[in-house]
Formats: sequence, C-alpha cells, structure tokens
Amino acid sequence: MSNSIVQESVLYYFHGAFNKSAVPGSLFSDQTDCGLVIKEAPFSAHLNLRGDAADSEFCLAVAKVLNLTLPLVAGTYSRNGNTSIYWLGPSEWLIVEIGGDAAVIEATMRKALQGHISIVDVSGGQTSINMRGSAAATLLKKSSVYDFEAWDSAEPTAGRVVQTTFAKASAVVSNRPDGSYDLVIRRSFADYVAQWLLDAGAEFGCRVEQG
Amino acid sequence: MSRNRLESHTGATLDFTFNGKAYQGIVGDTLASALLANGVDVVGRSFKYARPRGIFGHGAEEPNAIIQLGAGAATIPNLKATQVELYQGLEASSVNGWPSVDFDVMGIIGAFGRLMPPGFYYKTFMYPKKLWMTYEHFIRKAAGLGATPVEADPDSYDKLNQHCDVLVVGAGPAGLVAAREAARTGARVIIADEQSEFGGSLLASKQTIDGRIATDWIASLVAELAAYKNVQLLPRSTVFGYYDHNFLTILERRTDHLALSAPSGTRQRIHRVRAAQVVLATGAFERPLVFAHNDIPGVMLASSVSTYVNRYGVAPGNKLVVFTTNDNAYQTALDWHQTGRQVVAVVDSRTNPSGEIVDAVKALGIEVLVGHGLIEARGKKRVKAALVAPINESGTQVVGAVRYLDSDLIACSGGWSPAIHLSSHTGAKPVWDPNIVGFRPGASKQQERSAGACRGTFDLAGCLAEGASAGAEAAKLSGRGDGGLQFPGFSVEEYSEQPQQALFLVPHTQSTSRAPSQFVDFQLDVSASGIELAVREGFESVEHVKRYTALGFGTDQGKLGNINGMAILANALDQSIAETGTTIFRPSYTPTTFGAIAGRDVNHLFDPERYTAMHRWHQQQGAEFEDVGQWKRPWYFPQSGESLQKAVNREGLAVRNSVGILDASTLGKIDIQGPDAAEFITRMYTNSYLKLAPGKCRYGVMLKEDGMIFDDGVCACLADNHYLMFTTTGGAAGVLAWLELWQQTEWPELQVYFTSVTDHWTTATVTGPNARKVIAKVCNDIELSNEAFGFMDWRDGTVAGVKARIFRISFTGELSYEVNVPAHYGRHIWEALIAAGEEFNITPYGTETMHVLRAEKGFIIVGQDTDGSMTPADMNMDWVVGKNKAFSFIGKRSLQRSDTVRENRKQLVGLKTLKGSDVLPEGAQVVFDAKQKIPMSMQGHVTSSYYSASLGHSIALAVVKGGHSRLGQVVYCPLADGRSIAAEIVSSVFYDPKGERQHV
Repeated sequence: MSNSIVQESVLYYFHGAFNKSAVPGSLFSDQTDCGLVIKEAPFSAHLNLRGDAADSEFCLAVAKVLNLTLPLVAGTYSRNGNTSIYWLGPSEWLIVEIGGDAAVIEATMRKALQGHISIVDVSGGQTSINMRGSAAATLLKKSSVYDFEAWDSAEPTAGRVVQTTFAKASAVVSNRPDGSYDLVIRRSFADYVAQWLLDAGAEFGCRVEQG
Repeated sequence: MSRNRLESHTGATLDFTFNGKAYQGIVGDTLASALLANGVDVVGRSFKYARPRGIFGHGAEEPNAIIQLGAGAATIPNLKATQVELYQGLEASSVNGWPSVDFDVMGIIGAFGRLMPPGFYYKTFMYPKKLWMTYEHFIRKAAGLGATPVEADPDSYDKLNQHCDVLVVGAGPAGLVAAREAARTGARVIIADEQSEFGGSLLASKQTIDGRIATDWIASLVAELAAYKNVQLLPRSTVFGYYDHNFLTILERRTDHLALSAPSGTRQRIHRVRAAQVVLATGAFERPLVFAHNDIPGVMLASSVSTYVNRYGVAPGNKLVVFTTNDNAYQTALDWHQTGRQVVAVVDSRTNPSGEIVDAVKALGIEVLVGHGLIEARGKKRVKAALVAPINESGTQVVGAVRYLDSDLIACSGGWSPAIHLSSHTGAKPVWDPNIVGFRPGASKQQERSAGACRGTFDLAGCLAEGASAGAEAAKLSGRGDGGLQFPGFSVEEYSEQPQQALFLVPHTQSTSRAPSQFVDFQLDVSASGIELAVREGFESVEHVKRYTALGFGTDQGKLGNINGMAILANALDQSIAETGTTIFRPSYTPTTFGAIAGRDVNHLFDPERYTAMHRWHQQQGAEFEDVGQWKRPWYFPQSGESLQKAVNREGLAVRNSVGILDASTLGKIDIQGPDAAEFITRMYTNSYLKLAPGKCRYGVMLKEDGMIFDDGVCACLADNHYLMFTTTGGAAGVLAWLELWQQTEWPELQVYFTSVTDHWTTATVTGPNARKVIAKVCNDIELSNEAFGFMDWRDGTVAGVKARIFRISFTGELSYEVNVPAHYGRHIWEALIAAGEEFNITPYGTETMHVLRAEKGFIIVGQDTDGSMTPADMNMDWVVGKNKAFSFIGKRSLQRSDTVRENRKQLVGLKTLKGSDVLPEGAQVVFDAKQKIPMSMQGHVTSSYYSASLGHSIALAVVKGGHSRLGQVVYCPLADGRSIAAEIVSSVFYDPKGERQHV
C-alpha cells in the first residue's frame, strides 16, 4: 500500500500532449509555436451555489464571505484574485478558487448564509482550463454554436461567461482580459474534450500544459 | 499549344488525364476549359439513351460533363467538369458510358429512343415485383451514376459555427458592392462565392466600371474588402442550404483545387452560419433553347462560349452560329469575332430586333437572320451543321424554306433564369414575371433580400445599384449604419437592351412528337415530346410530371431545363406558366460530400466516451469494456486467455467467498438541499423519507405518472435538510431533469435545490465476506462493527489518508462498503483498497459479474427487467410502496387503474431450467404449452439470464402472466433453433433468501 497520496487532476493524462498537422513547410517548427495552448489550472475549489438572487441579505453575505460581488446580470462573472463567481442561472452560481480548499469555503459560507440555500462541493468533478493563442477564438467556433464574438460588443465586454454545448459535451466558457478563454469542463467528459481540442487545434499546433 | 487555346492566353502548363488519355491545360483552367482547349468533344453519355454529350455550360448548371475524379479511397463521383479546378496530375473519367464514351453499349438501345418513353422504367419493370432489385441493379450499371469509394475516406473535414450581421451570397457585381456597403458600417460581414475567384460574371466580361476594366475593378474592390477586420471572404464556398431562423450552410472547398486528397489539414469545411440579415446575389443561369438535336456536342450556352473565350482563352470550335431570342447573346458573336474565328450567322427569333448591339454585330459584316429559328442541329459526336428556317412571329411554326449553315459550334440563348434556389429554400414561392421571361424570388419569408440578376435585374448598372442598396439595408436592419450609401452611383458602359422573345420550344418542320428529339433536360434525356406525352397520359401537376418524366432530377437539379419544361407543360395543358407554377428547390444547391456533413464527429470523436477516474487502471488490467450510456464500464477482467464465462465465474465466486471490488463511480448522484427536501423526495419515490435520520440510507423506486417504474436507487440523509440521491447510471440526467421539472412547474412552493455530483465522487464498492477486514486496514476512524455501522448506514471517515464517505449499501447481497472520495483521489483510493485486499485475493469485477450477483438475489435492473410497462407490484415489490403517505407520490393514482390491478399482468419470477446447464437466452418467449402450433400463446419473456457459478446452475428472471401465483409450474421457452427449454417457475430470489449475508 502506497504511503503518499496521489491526486490526479482531470487532464492528468494529457499534460504535455501535443498535436499538429504535418503540413510540409508548415509554420510550426516545434511545440513552442502553437496557435493553441491549453493549460489546466492547479487543484482548485469548485462549489455550486444556489440561492435567491432577490434576497439582498443573501447576496451581501456571499459578497462579504468571498470579498467579491455576486454577479446578478445574466452571462457575467466577477473575479477577485484567484476567486471567481460565475453566473450560471437566475439562482445558480459557480464559485472557483484556484488553489482553494472547498471544505473551508463551504464551512465559512454555511456559517454566514441563512435560510434556503444550497452549497455543494463539486471540485472533484470538474476542472478549469485556460485556452490561449491566436487560434483560441477559432477553436471556440469549431466547438460551440454560441456567438463568442458578440462579447466584443456586449456591455460589459469583460467578465462574460456562458454555460453551453462544447462539441458533444458541455463547458462553462468565460473570457479573460488578456484575450484568452477559461473553460470549466466535466471530469467524465474530459478525455473526449481533450481529444477534441487536440484534434481541432492540430492545424494551428496545439499543446496541453500543467498549471 | 492546344488547338483551341487562344494565343493571347498563356500560363504555366498542367498535365492531366481524361478517360486515360494525357492532356495539358494551363493554370487557371477548369477541367472543362482544359478539355475544350484540347478539342475533346464527347465527355459523357446521357442517362437513358446514352447519346454522346459534350460540355454545355461553364458552372453549376452543367448537365453533361459529369465526371469521376481520381481512383481509390479518395475518388469523387459526379463532379461537374466545369467546377473542377485543374491541378497538376489530375485524373478524371466519365461517370457513364460503358465500355467507353466513344462506343457505348447503351447507345444501341438509345438508337431506339422512341421505345423508351417517359415512365419507361415504371412501365417495363413492373412485374414480377420480386425481380425489381435485379432490374434496378442492371439499370444503375447501365446508366452509370459514378462510383463511390469503398475504402475509408482518407481526408479530414470540419465545421465552423459562424455568426454575422450580413451574409452576402455570391461575389458578382451585386454581391461585392453589397458587401462593401455593409462592411463600412462595421457590420460583421461574410461574403461567399462558389468560384475560385470573386467577380462572378464580370470575370468573363470586357465591360468597364467607373472607367476601369472589370477585372481591375474587381481586384481593387476585393482588396478593399479584405482590409476590413469585420469581413470574412470565402471563395470556393457554396452556400448550399438556407434554413429556418436565417441559418445557412456553406461548403468551403479548401484543398480540392490542389490535389485529389489533402495530405493533412481540412479538405472541406462546412460553415454553419447564423446571419442577422442575408443578401442573395446568386446571379442567373442562361436558358438553353429547345430545338431538334440540341444535345449534340458543340451546342453550348452563349454565355459559356463567351466565358471560355474571355476568361479561359479557349475557343471551343471554329465556325459559330449564335441562336438567340434576346440582345444579350449578340455579345458572344462580338467576343467570337475577336478571336479571329468565323461567326457564320446570328439567328434571332425576333422579327425586328433593333438594339444597339444588333447594329454593332451587323457593322462587323456578320449575317443576322431575323425572324428565324435554328430548328435542328446535325452531326453525331460534334455539330456539323445548323438547320435554320423562318418562323412565325409567335415562334410556333416554321414558315419558310430550311437552310443549312455549315457550322461546328452553336451558341444558344433563350434568356436568363434568376438563380432563385436559396430564396426557394426558405419557402418563398417564386413569382412568374413575363417581362423577364422567368421566375423572380417570392416575397421574403426570412430576413433576406435578393439583388441583381437573381432578382431579375440583368443590366450591370442595375445590378450594382441594387447590390449597394441591399447591402446598406441589410446592415441597417442588423443594427449597423443608417442605410445610406457610400457609393450611390456607378458609371458603366453597356448596350441598352431591347425586349426579348419568350420562346421555350423551337418549332420544327415536323410535329414535336415526330421531330428529332428536342431535349429539355439533358442529363436525364427528357424531351419536349416526352412532356407532351406525359400530359396526354393524364398528368397535370408540375410535380407529377417532374416525377414521371424525371425532369430536373439529375445532379444539376434542372438548373437549365426547368423553365423550358414547365413552359412546354403549360402550353400542352393550355394554361399560363403562372398557373402551371414551378417545382420547389430544396437543399442542397449543389451536391455536398458526406464527409463534410459528418465533419470531425467520426471515429473516436463520434460520440463522447465517459471515463471514471480509474479508467486507466482498468485498461492496464486488460479489462473488456461495456457501453452504459456514454460511459465505458469494465465488463469483466479476463486473466490470460479467460473467456467471459470463466472470468465471470471466477469473479462471482471471489465475491461470494472472499471479497471483490467494483468501480461504481458511474451511478448518478444528486445532492439535494432545502427545508422541503424530505417532503419533495417522498413525493418522487414510492416510499417515505420523512423519518430517515442523518446517517441512514433507504432504497426507493421512482414511477412516472402512469405508475410504471422509471428509476431506482438509494437515497441517503446526509444532514437535516440535506440528502444524496443515487440514480441508475443511464438514468442520471433524466432523473435530475425530472426533479427540476416537478419542482419548477408543479411545486415551486417547495424549497429545495438539486445539484449533480456524479462526476465529483468516485465510488469503489468493496463487497464480500472479507470486506470489513479490507476496509479496516485502510480506515481507522470509523467503528466498523455491524452494531456501530449497520446495513443501510453511512459514515464519514478517512480511507487511505483521504476524507471519504462510506455507505453500507449492497447490490450483491454480501457485506458491502461503498467508498466515496472526490474523484481526484479516485485512482489512489482504488489502488489502496486493492493493496489492502491483496491478502484476501481481492478481485476486481465488472458489470457482467455485477449482473449475475444481483440476479442471484433477484434485484431488478431498471431498463432490463422493466421496460416502462412494469409497476412495483409487477416486480413483486409492493413492500417499497408507501400506502399511507400524507401527500401522495408520483404515479400513485395510476396504481389503482383497472389495468394495473388486473390479474394476469406480467409478473417478475425466477426461472430455473430443468437441466441446470441450459442457459436461457435473454428475450426468449415463455409459453405454457410446448406442443401448441404456431402462432403460440406467448405468456411472457426472459429478462435476465446467466449461469450462476455460486449455485452451480443457470438462473433467469422473467416476466410471466400471473407469474406470482404460478410458482412450481413448468413453462417452456421455444428457441429459434427448434429446441424448447423447460424451466420451473421459482422465487426470483435464488441466493440467501433471508438476506442474512448483507446484514453481518
């Protein structure tokens, strides 16, 4: 019996994966020339929050605990440092703290929140990946029917998120100020999604990094 | 230099072969222009009569030059040579004509063409019916529709989801200026054109726009568009479908102009476009004229002759006769004259043509025969002569002497038909306009407008003006710009045109039925006399005539023949064209490859495979996998050379005698929180959860409103107002949706939230008499004794250093611990349990053994032992139905329906074969009288059946009519191989009937 406790992240078996089309005289000389770079975030806290958005006490309490405003506008998220709250629905949010401890967050929030709420640790079931590179926007077009370009003229343009279909799986997709995108994907579909991304990104050169 | 190539036209040469012969073309050629340059007259044989056919058009309308490209896995059938860009090494052949296009066996049949009237196949091959398959095989082989590759497609295809404000279809003059007006407003614009270059008809034009020759004007406009970041230019891209909600599909051919197969990258890409506004600028097709033997190679569209001369530098003949009903085709005479080859005459059906261009032609000394018809072409594999004669003003009769014109090329023009296909896809009904002698697009059904020739505007200035307005309007309606024009006017040099004549069937000295064939649809050999015959045989509707004669059914979809055919039909029916109407165009506009439609959803990406956190471990152990929904679950773990049965025997005995381990991570798991959680759950299941205390679990069955079992599983109380519901693997998503549906629509007053945690938890089930000993080795913070941690309890604790939740739930009937940890620790916990169990020979087992073990216990699997028509009582599970619940539960009322309470319903029982080694096939029918004659009275069927190693004989579960009162009765399962297996009806619980082993 092993003494060390080994954790396997959702994309554990894909770290270092690389794919590109073997076009003669292609632009890509090596792995560093990739139009698409997928980077999995380190182990993080993911919690699903349900509550009444019309209840100002609830909203304030969440904001106080997380030091972050609860986004109430559809399709937006708020972020402070490593912590983000993504709007998923009128009464549903996803809290992600990169490198955070879900048990601590859950305990703190249960203490602070009154009334009918639900907070569920889903950290083991999903992961956050960042998708950057010149082909990132095209990859989204290959994978999803959502109009991500519309975010460029939306109000606000930053801090946008959508939970949508991604190839034949689903993803929570959000934009970052640096022009890259974050995806939250489900563990059981991750092999499929990773293979999809490596395939779709092959024409631009694509690699997967460990966060 | 090829014999028909004009000296002024030069370029790098490309080698290619056609029907095995080597030729040369030059860069920029299509296969059609290269073949014409080489003087290849016969490129195929017609579908029915196998008549020799030559290149007729220059684009998507081409009916004759249907070719097979390449050979082997990447071969492509049924391409039009006019749309195939030439590349070095291209190999093409005709799709029909056997043994060759120059000597065709079917041509002999074709010589008796009158023996094959419309409906020939229907009439001839009707009887006997069973031979139809044989006939069809022969007909297809003889007719030739190209060959599909039998190997896997070596190429890659993909899709791109696009959104834009304005999609412009067609990059001719109207489309280009529409795109420019839209682009400057900042609108997101996509402009797609099927040709390799933008410019449309202008590519073959010598006109000037704003003082510049057309090709220069195009180049600068395309450069301007390319500079806009908000504009996407898609050449070689055919918009092939226009669907509801302004959804359009574009096929982009990315590598077809380079080689037969793309060594890497994407050969073709489908753009799935959702456009706010659409501008259709799809142009028009020139209409051929229907005269006798108008299908002989050397008869072409006038615009095609001009295109080959002006764009490709190819003069496909020597002595040209132009036959027209309009001014436009006179341009072809001018273009031909420029090549230095002879224009024999222009034959104009109008009695008094007076346009400027007519005078221009006359001024060159070219003979113009007015009030004449070209009534017949002569020649076999190439036109040798044109027969012309005076015709009456209405174009219905020959009224003078026939004259022979020595000629090898006939350019004909019966006017222009707007390409209304995409507008028609939307359901807009085309409108006949006698002024343009054609159908215009009907009133818009979607956010689209047509501009230019596809709207019936044929002069260049008009096309440009309409295009600009359409672009600005579309942008404005998409929320961009004010609709004003940046470029309101264009200065264009063009001849003003006089009215054309509507002439759909050129008269002959003989009646239509006696005259040589006057073809309407070249590809399918539909002639004017065939359409008239269809009318005489009683067909009246255009849709019926289309199907009877096959008019417009070819790969060209009647782009050339439809209007003439309908007009001839209208005339035969003695009604107007508007009354006759037109058939409806449907997607695809041109044939689309299946590869492109499939995209990347092929092979391992065809359907997602869902994996648990231990998937790699299972693979490394050599597990065979079973598909459960999209999950890949270990089916069994064969040791070297073991069969399924041997592996299952070994795995099952290990669980019964020592300990086994199962990956149960795929079970659906739903976290339920809220003050009304217990009440809500109690309404969903048949039994009650109101008194379930924290730390406790309970098994429940869910019904649909009809009282039939729909899912089952265990629900655990985690804390006050906090529950965890387990569902079946396949039912997880459906159950969550079911809960949300009832909460949101029926009981919004119940305060409860649901969250899926299926992926969060990894579950390892340790089961068997030694299970406690295994758990004890890795967990020391839970009191594991049966008294402290009993059956149907759960506890929080630490397993192998990881915070875990353990449930004492059993699906095997043995002492069981289901260890749950967050999935990041899944493989760690699994390997730790395997290591801890080593001394007990812990045995990983798969779904097959799981099925056997639970069947030994008579535990049902929803979806296997039930089929949506089984109540809990049918399953002998009345004990799970709470009769006295305060509210009610879903399906309760239906349990009292006369049908659900009647006797003789199919009920779950066990079957024990009289001969223990006989294993009944699942699905076998159960009868009471083995000797009854077929059709036998079927009394039920086997739902689950296995060989049980623990019991040493086969076991089966079955549903049998009135089964619960038939214990001890012998029934029979007649099999397809003639055997009939006898079995005794027994209790469905075969093993440990008192259920003691799981309580230890």
